[in-house]
Amino acid sequence: MNPNHIYQVRICTGTLCHVMGGALLPELKPYLPEYLKGKVQVKGMTCADYCKQEDRKPPYVLVDDHLIESASIEKVIAYIKKCENHDSKQ
Amino acid sequence: MDRTFIEIGHQNLQKNGHEVCGDVFMSRKLQEEGRTIGVLSDGLGSGIKANILATMTASMALNFTIANQPVERSAQSIRETLPVDSERKINYASFTIADVEYDGETTILEYGNPQFLIFRGNKIMNRETMKTHNTEKIAVSNFMAQKEDRIILFSDGVSQSGIGRADMPFGWEIEDLKEFISDHLSNHPHMSAQKLARHIVNRAHMNDTFSAQDDISCSVIYFRKPRNLLVCSGPPYKKEKDATMAQTIKSFNGTKIICGGTTAQIISRELGCAIDADLSSNDLELPPVSYMNGVDLVTEGILTIGKVSEWLESMNPGGIDNQNAAGQIIHHLLAHDKITFLVGTRINEAHQDPSLPVELEIRRNVIKKIAHLLEEKYLKEVHIQFI
Repeated sequence: MNPNHIYQVRICTGTLCHVMGGALLPELKPYLPEYLKGKVQVKGMTCADYCKQEDRKPPYVLVDDHLIESASIEKVIAYIKKCENHDSKQ
Repeated sequence: MDRTFIEIGHQNLQKNGHEVCGDVFMSRKLQEEGRTIGVLSDGLGSGIKANILATMTASMALNFTIANQPVERSAQSIRETLPVDSERKINYASFTIADVEYDGETTILEYGNPQFLIFRGNKIMNRETMKTHNTEKIAVSNFMAQKEDRIILFSDGVSQSGIGRADMPFGWEIEDLKEFISDHLSNHPHMSAQKLARHIVNRAHMNDTFSAQDDISCSVIYFRKPRNLLVCSGPPYKKEKDATMAQTIKSFNGTKIICGGTTAQIISRELGCAIDADLSSNDLELPPVSYMNGVDLVTEGILTIGKVSEWLESMNPGGIDNQNAAGQIIHHLLAHDKITFLVGTRINEAHQDPSLPVELEIRRNVIKKIAHLLEEKYLKEVHIQFI
């Protein structure tokens, strides 16, 4: 992956995601480790119907095209870190 | 024909140190007769006793006026009913009644309050041009109101604000008050009744150096062109109706709000407009607002309208400054006259999950409650259409 890649984090702002903990997610940025700051862009999105699936686990966050369910700030950051490490090993 | 809408706004502030305001404003719209009646009453003294006197006076005056009782008899009934103050041994509450007919014919009865003002656009209207006579110490004025007229009623807390200050020894003199209003209306010709009332009360509060020396209140009756608002919430019951809903929004002449993420997705898909979610307005209570081209506001659905309903029920409409999604919707609701709700009735099954941490209401019921509040408490013209 491009080292200048900017991670597009999209947080679902729908009802279900909001009440299941999504309300806290827009505060993501201050929790990013120093080396990731500036590499992550946080946006909102309206409900994309992930919650309509049989086995639903809101809140949902998309990092680029990867869907994270039962998302928390820790989980999103862990995923981005994993992508970064994976890149550096290549 | 272009109809005139009558908007009523009221703001009050209690005397410093008191829990309640001794000035009371009541209003009623009689849909069948096309009449609008507003009463401002100022009870003797301040605090809870004054509030009771004023509430009794205002509700009696309102109901006598609705029943078309002769002025003399109403005045007598009010006088005989009010309890006598235990210290001052008198009973007294001043009042002003504004009675507006469907065609703009207006009758104003005044007893004891400062004289009302009428502005036509930003110009003060001369009271000499009105027919006025006195009965039972009550001044009765008649005139024909026109579009862009504003009738301004206020208590002596406004005209006497700042009294004794070196720069305004006699309080806020009437000429200065007129100039203040005229300046505001010149700069903001379409200022809502509520906003103008709030500005006047705030200024009077400032004259009193933010420690009100008396109950301060102001009511504004504004004759204006109706402002239309469409609130669209919920996916249509049948999918085939999606396009109808989108077209209704597209062709609507006025301000448009969409409440609901799924609804917004449908409209976005049908009209081909992208949605842009703005995380900066997020707070823990409500999801943030979004924007879409051609729509004035897009919000989340049930949590937001639930909050709107809660606030409309409880608050002093002038008192919200919250800029979250519900605050923005309330701002729009209060600034418009004719409000249409287009409500999709499809149930979101995911919201019925009993393991959710909060109870999510059925949209249709919440909207009905909001509509009822807007009609009864805020005198709006409301239509609900289910789709």
